[in-house]
Amino acid sequence: MTSATLIENRAVYTPPSDYRLTAFGLMRSEWTKFWSLRSSWIVLVCAALFGAGIAVAVSADYSANYDPSADGFGMAPGDVLFGFLLSGVFIAVLGALFITGEYTTGSIRSTMSAAPRRTGVLWAKAAVFAAVVVGVYSAVVLATFYGTQAILSGTDLGGASLSDATTLRVLTGYVATIAYLGLLGLALGAILRNSAGSIAFYIGVIMILPQLATMLPWQWVADAVPYTPGEVVNTLSMSDTAGANLTLGESWTWMGIWIVVTFGLAAVLLRRRDV
Amino acid sequence: MEPGGGGRNVVSMIEIEHLTKRYGKKTAVDDLSFTVKPGAVTGFLGPNGAGKSTTMRTIVGLDAPTSGTVRVGGQRYDRFRAPLTEVGALLEAKSVHAGRSAYKHLLALAHTHGIPKRRVSEVIDMVGLSDVAGKRVGGFSLGMGQRLGIAVALLGDPAVLILDEPVNGLDPDGVRWIRQLLKRLAAEGRTVFLSSHLMSELAQTAEHLVVIGQGRLLADTTVDDFVESRGGGAVKVVSPNAAALAERLQGPGVSITSPESGVLEVRGTGSAFIGETAAAHGLVLHELHTQRASLEDVFMEITADSVEYQQSKEGVAA
Ligand SMILES: Nc1ncnc2c1ncn2[C@@H]1O[C@H](COP(=O)(O)OP(=O)(O)O)[C@@H](O)[C@H]1O
Ligand SMILES: [Mg+2]
Repeated sequence: MTSATLIENRAVYTPPSDYRLTAFGLMRSEWTKFWSLRSSWIVLVCAALFGAGIAVAVSADYSANYDPSADGFGMAPGDVLFGFLLSGVFIAVLGALFITGEYTTGSIRSTMSAAPRRTGVLWAKAAVFAAVVVGVYSAVVLATFYGTQAILSGTDLGGASLSDATTLRVLTGYVATIAYLGLLGLALGAILRNSAGSIAFYIGVIMILPQLATMLPWQWVADAVPYTPGEVVNTLSMSDTAGANLTLGESWTWMGIWIVVTFGLAAVLLRRRDV
Repeated sequence: MEPGGGGRNVVSMIEIEHLTKRYGKKTAVDDLSFTVKPGAVTGFLGPNGAGKSTTMRTIVGLDAPTSGTVRVGGQRYDRFRAPLTEVGALLEAKSVHAGRSAYKHLLALAHTHGIPKRRVSEVIDMVGLSDVAGKRVGGFSLGMGQRLGIAVALLGDPAVLILDEPVNGLDPDGVRWIRQLLKRLAAEGRTVFLSSHLMSELAQTAEHLVVIGQGRLLADTTVDDFVESRGGGAVKVVSPNAAALAERLQGPGVSITSPESGVLEVRGTGSAFIGETAAAHGLVLHELHTQRASLEDVFMEITADSVEYQQSKEGVAA
């Protein structure tokens, strides 16, 4: 009774009503978080330089040793950019760290108390990270392509342009591959919530294990390997897809399947587990 | 009425009903029920490991109750359209990325709710971090970290503030500042709920007290009543005729203990009655005074059985 009386005699506080938790707000928040960490810049720049550097080195080497009378190596103009595929591991790690970093530092507690339904944070992170990777890689891949074309101008690989359907598809394929691997890393990070564990899992299980598995004496294992999460993406960046394990269509389908499966699992766990 | 919407008339009370939280076999919170009302500072008191932090984490939805319910303003926290305007929390464990600046941390949180930059600068000023807001949080002292945590809690100008051991690491100036701040926020009609394992930290700030031990409710009362009901009111009597006096004082509601021979501790009656009784029967008194237990004593007494690692048990086990 006394406390009820106390309340009535006191001010009644009304919190501000013009603030709202929105999906757009969550994306802005993740955008700010991403760019406000030095590690994001460092890893992105390293990955881009790594991919571009290999492309330039390979082009210079090809150009220097080019012999017009000899048969080519069966290479296409886009192939010299394969270094970007190797840089995928940087981006996958960056994707994982984008969320595991929140768990290791504890900032996930601030994040999730501001967005207690939680899954919106995961979708916002995925959207922002994919947008950043696609944006940065589109620019870098394109610039590198023109750079390598300048180096290759005197060879059979020179004179290519984006109006060439295969070249455009392969360049797009590089960007899509990297974005896919980055998202895969992000989902893994959300599931495992641990930086070292996620990186080890990505490199060990996603990258290396399928290669080792092909050495096993069972044919069904070798048959299954192309469908594993790290392998389904391979066809996208091939200039000649004739010998590929998966067709382009199958590749995209399986990428979609793995994204849905990994993010689905991540979302379910995010809702179930304590932060 | 929509929660968090315009024209709300919901009283932002924290209501905890039969809350139980287990981590594996460990029961951190055990069938706990209490409410925290607006317009006052409520202290949440209990020894280390009592379950205070766990309870507070369930209020902002970070930990899910094993059973029972936790509501704020009659709602589950995750149902609010603008959670940061409903509850602002300073949690015990670190909640900031060490590589980010204080400003960017607050800005990122502000963006989620469309809170303007102006408000971010405002809370930075309020907690006195203006000079270091652009520096990486990794280099912050414990006290600066606490101030940033308080800025986070205030960001959405919330109706309910939850602060888990906010005084930790603050210098005396900071302690005085936060006490005044919390009282002011409560006077505005907000619900302020702050925890501590030290009674002395709460005594000057809180009006109400929720005391827990080993996850269970021990007391839910005002600070004054808390002292009054426990230890307060015991009268110490030193008399060479202690036994005879004790006999005369017997009566309904009166309890008498004798900690040592010639000394009585009488509860349930006042010193006036004791003195008059002694005089009426010609009994000699050497000492007669009402003991007023300090808050700390009361707290120690009430939680003595619920301190998690009791000396004796540990001693025997070792
Ligand atoms: N995430 C957790 N996993 C396992 N045990 C926990 C966890 N959080 C708290 N506990 C245990 O629950 C009990 C209550 O802890 P806590 O809520 O931190 O108490 P307080 O804040 O009152 O010191 C302690 O015994 C603690 O070890
Ligand atoms: Mg605690």
